[in-house]
Amino acid sequence: MAIKLSANYSKKLGLPQYSSHSFSASVEVELSDITQVEAEVQKLYALLQHSVDQEIQHSGFLPEANSRPQNNGNGQHQENNGRTYQINGSGRQHSSGQHQQAKPVGDAWNCTDGQKGFILRIVNENPSITKQVAEDLSQQLFGIGVKQLNKMQASQLIEDLLVKAGKPAPRQSRWQQQPPNRQAA
Amino acid sequence: MNATAEAPPPVKEQSAEVIIEALQRTVSASRLSLFLQCRLKWFHRYVLKLSKPKTPSLHLGNSVHTVLKGWNKARWLQKPLTLKQAHDAYTAAWADTSEGSVKWEPGEEDDEKTTGWRLVDTYLRESHVPAEVKPDAVEVPVEADLHQHGLPKLIGVLDLVQQRQIIDYKTAATTPNTDKVAHSHEIQTTSYSILYRHNTGHQEAGIQLHHLVKLKNPKVVITPLPAMSPQQETRLFRQMEAYLTGLQQEQFVPSPGMHCASCEFQNECRKWH
Repeated sequence: MAIKLSANYSKKLGLPQYSSHSFSASVEVELSDITQVEAEVQKLYALLQHSVDQEIQHSGFLPEANSRPQNNGNGQHQENNGRTYQINGSGRQHSSGQHQQAKPVGDAWNCTDGQKGFILRIVNENPSITKQVAEDLSQQLFGIGVKQLNKMQASQLIEDLLVKAGKPAPRQSRWQQQPPNRQAA
Repeated sequence: MNATAEAPPPVKEQSAEVIIEALQRTVSASRLSLFLQCRLKWFHRYVLKLSKPKTPSLHLGNSVHTVLKGWNKARWLQKPLTLKQAHDAYTAAWADTSEGSVKWEPGEEDDEKTTGWRLVDTYLRESHVPAEVKPDAVEVPVEADLHQHGLPKLIGVLDLVQQRQIIDYKTAATTPNTDKVAHSHEIQTTSYSILYRHNTGHQEAGIQLHHLVKLKNPKVVITPLPAMSPQQETRLFRQMEAYLTGLQQEQFVPSPGMHCASCEFQNECRKWH
């Protein structure tokens, strides 16, 4: 008797201006032997995840940066000072897979504006740190370009560029004396 | 440890207010942990900023951290350190007093320095981190804006991230108990999970506490912990909320207990009323 195996993979990503987009892919296969299930599930998961990840990078239309914040989908507007989380309720977005960072679109940077500004300032203010030096270091450390770095990677790059420029942040005081544009460095 | 009796420097009420206001905007795991342990100690350290001599164990821990950071960074750049280079880095870190000097008892410094190096040597020789696997981050400062939860910005420094595992180094005098460390370090590990997720968009594969234990024969104890659960996140958020409320109400009262034995502010605490 043939065994039917259905697999579905779905992913939802947050986008700027409180937007999000999602995509899912499904596949159904027939197996001749139940012992094949585990291996087939593993294979299908990898296949579907890869396929969804490939496509979901194209975010398409994005709202203007100066448009009003949108409803977050839970019937709540996220205002700056309102504590929206509930201790046992569903009002809080938990961290598990909820903080997907949007892939850069076109010339956009994946890190924060503050990190982008800081990297550019290091390049502008230190003759030994050219854009190419920063790009090469990014490739060496992470295998991707500066604009593709996520926030953690950008923070690491900033630390290393400062060391290269002879201005390493002191271990204990890095959080106490941040320049205005400096984030996570 | 001998706490040095020092008269508190005069702090104008307004400047203390400004400091407390700033401390409501950002919080780290260590700051939060200290506040929940003893609010008066927290006040002495972060608001009055009373200066105390660096402790030998802190100096040892910092030196060990520095050389492990250098070792991880070097292998990331595919220029791994030899044991001699690691020892040189340790010696340089030990000599660095830019973050405060230690009041050593006669003969104490040499013993502590040897102990610290033996920890590093044991850790590197036992190869607890696969040298061929590239790190994702080494001692990277990160932050997470939690304003949508009405909470301060969370900040922290991740010692090592590798294969989506968050690894934190600790030096300890006694062998840690797995269940107890999972609980006693929960604020720190949960904070790191939140920081990792906010800064990468991914869930961590897990957390590892690497304790380097200062025994006669040094040993390394690795405590693997699972990824943060939603309940742990809620607990941390509630603790942060208590921190905010405590600062707003200026509830800086002492919490006498076992932890007072190692407190550097015992003299100041006794004067509190």
